[in-house]
Amino acid sequence: MVTEAARANTFPKLLIRNADIYADRPGYRHKNLGIWQVWTWRQMLDQVRAFSLGLAELGVKRDDKVAIIGSNRPRLYWAMCAAQALGAVPVPIYADSVAEEMAYILDHAEVTVAVVEDQEQVDKILSVSYQLPQLSHVVYDEPRGLRDYDHSRLKWIDDVQALGRDRTAAHPESLSEWEASVAAGKGADLSVILYTSGTTGRPKGVMLTFDNIIISAVNGNVFDKLGPDEEVIAYLPLAWVGDHVFSYAQPFTAGFCVNCPESPDTVGEDRREIGTTYAFAPPRIYENLLTMTMVRMEDAGLLKRKMFNYFIALARRWGEKILNGEPVPLHARLLYWLGELLVYGPLKNQLGVSRIRLAYTAGEAIGPEIFRFWRALGVNLKQLYGQTEASVYITAQPDGEIYADTVGKPNIDVEVKIADSGEVLFKSPGAFAGYYKEPQKTAETKTPDGWVHTGDAGFIDTKTGHLKIVDRARDVGRLNDGTLFAPKYIENKLKFYPNIREAVAFGDKRDFVCVMLNIDLVAVGNWAERNNIAYGSYQELAAHARVYGMLAEHVAEVNRSLAEDQAMAGAQIRRFLILHKELDADDGEVTRTQKVRRSFVAERYAPLINALYSGASEADISTEVTFEDGRKGTLSACVKIRDTAPIAPVLEKAA
Amino acid sequence: MRAPTEQSIAAGEVLLSVEDVSLSFGGVQAISGVSFDIRKGEIRAIIGPNGAGKTSMLNIINGFYQPQYGRITFKGETRSKMRPNEAARGGIARTFQNVALFKGMTALDNLMAGRTLRMKRGFLWQLLRFGPALGEETEHRQRVEEIIDFLKIQAIRKVQVGRLPYGLQKRVELGRALAMEPDLLLLDEPMAGMNLEEKEDMSRFIIDVNTIYGTTIALIEHDMGVVMDLSDRVVVLNYGRKIADGTPEQVRNDRDVIDAYLGVTH
Amino acid sequence: MDLLYKIFIDPFVQMGTAPDLLMQTLWEGLVAGVLYALIALGFVLIFKASGVFNFAQGIMVVFAALTLVGLYGVLHKWGIRPADVAAYGALALTVLVMLALAWCVERLMLRPLVNQPDIILFMATFGLTYFLIGLGELVFGGDPKVIMTEALHLPSGAYEIKMFGGFVSLQKIDIAAVLIASIMVAGLGMFFQKTRIGRALRAVADSHKAALSVGISLEQIWVIAWFAAGIVALVTGIMWGARSQVEFSLQIIALKALPVLILGGFTSIPGAIVGGIIIGVGEKLGEFYWGPLLGSGIETWLAYVIALVFLLFRPEGLFGERIIERI
Repeated sequence: MVTEAARANTFPKLLIRNADIYADRPGYRHKNLGIWQVWTWRQMLDQVRAFSLGLAELGVKRDDKVAIIGSNRPRLYWAMCAAQALGAVPVPIYADSVAEEMAYILDHAEVTVAVVEDQEQVDKILSVSYQLPQLSHVVYDEPRGLRDYDHSRLKWIDDVQALGRDRTAAHPESLSEWEASVAAGKGADLSVILYTSGTTGRPKGVMLTFDNIIISAVNGNVFDKLGPDEEVIAYLPLAWVGDHVFSYAQPFTAGFCVNCPESPDTVGEDRREIGTTYAFAPPRIYENLLTMTMVRMEDAGLLKRKMFNYFIALARRWGEKILNGEPVPLHARLLYWLGELLVYGPLKNQLGVSRIRLAYTAGEAIGPEIFRFWRALGVNLKQLYGQTEASVYITAQPDGEIYADTVGKPNIDVEVKIADSGEVLFKSPGAFAGYYKEPQKTAETKTPDGWVHTGDAGFIDTKTGHLKIVDRARDVGRLNDGTLFAPKYIENKLKFYPNIREAVAFGDKRDFVCVMLNIDLVAVGNWAERNNIAYGSYQELAAHARVYGMLAEHVAEVNRSLAEDQAMAGAQIRRFLILHKELDADDGEVTRTQKVRRSFVAERYAPLINALYSGASEADISTEVTFEDGRKGTLSACVKIRDTAPIAPVLEKAA
Repeated sequence: MRAPTEQSIAAGEVLLSVEDVSLSFGGVQAISGVSFDIRKGEIRAIIGPNGAGKTSMLNIINGFYQPQYGRITFKGETRSKMRPNEAARGGIARTFQNVALFKGMTALDNLMAGRTLRMKRGFLWQLLRFGPALGEETEHRQRVEEIIDFLKIQAIRKVQVGRLPYGLQKRVELGRALAMEPDLLLLDEPMAGMNLEEKEDMSRFIIDVNTIYGTTIALIEHDMGVVMDLSDRVVVLNYGRKIADGTPEQVRNDRDVIDAYLGVTH
Repeated sequence: MDLLYKIFIDPFVQMGTAPDLLMQTLWEGLVAGVLYALIALGFVLIFKASGVFNFAQGIMVVFAALTLVGLYGVLHKWGIRPADVAAYGALALTVLVMLALAWCVERLMLRPLVNQPDIILFMATFGLTYFLIGLGELVFGGDPKVIMTEALHLPSGAYEIKMFGGFVSLQKIDIAAVLIASIMVAGLGMFFQKTRIGRALRAVADSHKAALSVGISLEQIWVIAWFAAGIVALVTGIMWGARSQVEFSLQIIALKALPVLILGGFTSIPGAIVGGIIIGVGEKLGEFYWGPLLGSGIETWLAYVIALVFLLFRPEGLFGERIIERI
């Protein structure tokens, strides 16, 4: 019988295990000053232990909360483990939060020590530190610019580790005390609190235990056969559950290596250099890579373009089938092989995905075109459905059952059921323990027998047995004539066009559906250059008549697609407008993971919505905007509105 | 690389001084009888209306122009004429108003070019590329990477400089000047053509260079706000003459300076 | 119709039916191409480093060869034996002469004219040409000379290879020429890319102002560039002279370098090679297969026609730097 202490059921225990069985294999890498520095698991144990003991010197003890704020740096990940070794709980916070947002979480979570990346984060915390009497120390990774700061409560990680090492030198028994502390960790202990950037109201702290995360991660490893040879690049927000599993839990459990890029600007190049084998990203990453490729192709010479178009068309026809292992005629296979040599191979190399064995997309629906495109190129892109409250894994597509519009079957040990209202519920070892200090909200979300309300509406597709997600449950509404209105469904169809970056649909308790659109500056800007349309700003481009014309075509196509589905035919778009500014997280209009805050947007843009439904052809709007450094300003515009004719649904032929 | 006759200058003492310098081209008197000094470790601004002779002054300090009269004393050595590459060898680095970069080379190569004077090993060693030459190459590469990190230009390391936007070009040029590890850094309108955010970044870099590396800086700048914030002392030129010299506060309230900028004729 | 047949079908049929002749023609084209490339290389070196189109490159080839022969004669007269010691001694001395020439050119021609427009410098190279012609005639006399190939241990004779049912004859001196040229090009390429001086040369070619501010001595770089061009000229002179004779009319060959430069770009070393080979092979093929049709003498004008086409569609050459200006 394996004892609680001996089972590697916490991350510190996993680290000790890895230092033994994966001793000299690389654990984390970081590109700095142009070269990749690497730490083996054995070296990591040494670093984490010193860090941990140092934190103990600063007063961190069991059940304390330690905030982690910054971009993907090895030492920030190690800080999580260092805290966990003492029985403390890491609380990662989004690095691009403004000071007030940070203050809320630091206060709510009762954080006593914050481990941050650099001067920028330190400054933010110092600016609100008067509101945080519990915060005793701020520890930083990158010393630049902090030399002259008051160091009574500010410490460099190197110095904290030195404290730890000094302690060990002076009191050798502290080592075994530390090990005992690690051994005392239990699977049911809190591993991390991840604050979800809620689309409504204040962020909630999702409490996840070691069992939650580790069992989910291990199940994920088994499902996809992930082992110690994988290479991943860590570039998604540290505070997002996806990154926590992908760059922390899975590496610790499977033993593979995490590569931290030099800077957010160099991610593409760094990805290329490493040749990652496993990727996990929200759809917009895959979209952006594609848009960039298309844009660059427009600039290429005639020969290159013709070759590209020919082979991409070929890939669209046969690529997915080849990837799925379906029978394909020989000549197609040969041509595809040629395409791999001439087009797909170099393209994948350029994008840094040549060695990708497995790529997941999650967090939002992905445009079927984009999804199919990647698979046509030979990249094993699959969909996954999960939540922070599930430690990510709820459903995933198994190999061989990949469809563009489903999110797969329940993962190992996960049960899924659909409520009468259409809401999806799940039960799994990864289901969260509760919301920190919010017992009422926890009770609303988690039933006493362990089922969790996901907040999403969906159904099980009878043909494939896969789950299909329609929309956020509370967003599904009805038009005044009773037609089902699933705003996300319509918005996703619109967002599949590269020219449309964001869309917000309205229709609940209204007579018809209207949408507000954001153009994608890269794609539309490129189109404008090519068509000799001059513009001086985003606002100007967004108001241009020809841009409206182009988007009107997209809307018409979406209407056509809606018309084909009997349930949706009544929900076609009648009117639309293009917003004068992008919906921005800094203005509170979208969350940090780019999900639209529907009610907030409805409130703020009320004048425009009223104009949409009153039949007006244009409307004035004045909005307050927040710049990156926190300053505020106002942006005014007169936005035009366009009508689009709905398309009559195709009538069923009489029998 | 110090010449044996140069003195070691302590912080606060005069690093460079120009005495009674006059320059004219073809009948146009660009500079008449200007004298001022630059102390080690300070940031010295040179300001004045357009055509005041500021760039000419910088060109004299760094050897591109030879003045007809006057002397320049740098690190204790006085000379009346100096060639640009001698100035460079002496420890003076320079950026230009219109950016003088090697447009056909990458940002990294441009910065490595800045290390030219610091490369000691001879040509034959270089060719063979091992032993001491390789070690030196690595050392230079590391210094350059530190500068790349400092200026946050990792993403454009391998990009051909001619294709970069103006703001980034100016940053690369600053990087190349820093790669020379100069004693005196001359910046000719480092903020020209930048928006607010870029100006703030550049200001921060300039301050950091001065405080972290201890480099003495002389800069020409039009943005008064920048001048007041950054500089320790200011010298004001108008029509080729010096009309004020002192701290930013003193200069701001000087009657002659105000008149010069408002265009009041004396 | 018959004419079309003669232009488009017949030559290819001939190529097909006698592949050994095709090989021979291709080989000779390659050799000629390599030698054109060498001359173009000299131009590229100087243009890259000092922005000057060196009209005197051709005469430098002749001058270098003459100096070599002359010095050999002198050493031989002084009783230096055996012959190859005298030959290589003369070679070493010629290298020094080219260095001295480079130094003089920099001091007396480039330095005084440093801020003048490019056209002035170009005219100055005209002057240099006639100066070298005059000097050469004065010192060495105007009659053709012979390169001392045996003394230099340059191979003679030919390899006869059986191929495609016939023979292909490869002159050993040609093989040596191609080999030596390749080594030199590779060496120069590495020099430019990898060494500090190579980097400095590229820097000076890019921007004088920037090079000066970084501490590069323009004068030193120019001497090195002209010296390198002088070495290239020397090797070209030996190779070309070994196949025929050394005479002043050889400098006309330099004019052939112009189409090569247009094809390959004025600032590209690989461009000079590729351009040279294209022109060389193109000429020989054209002469042999289309010559009877279009009248012989294709060799004279074909290169220029190709250059013209390039000027219309790709003026910067295959490898030259696209002039992209950021507005």
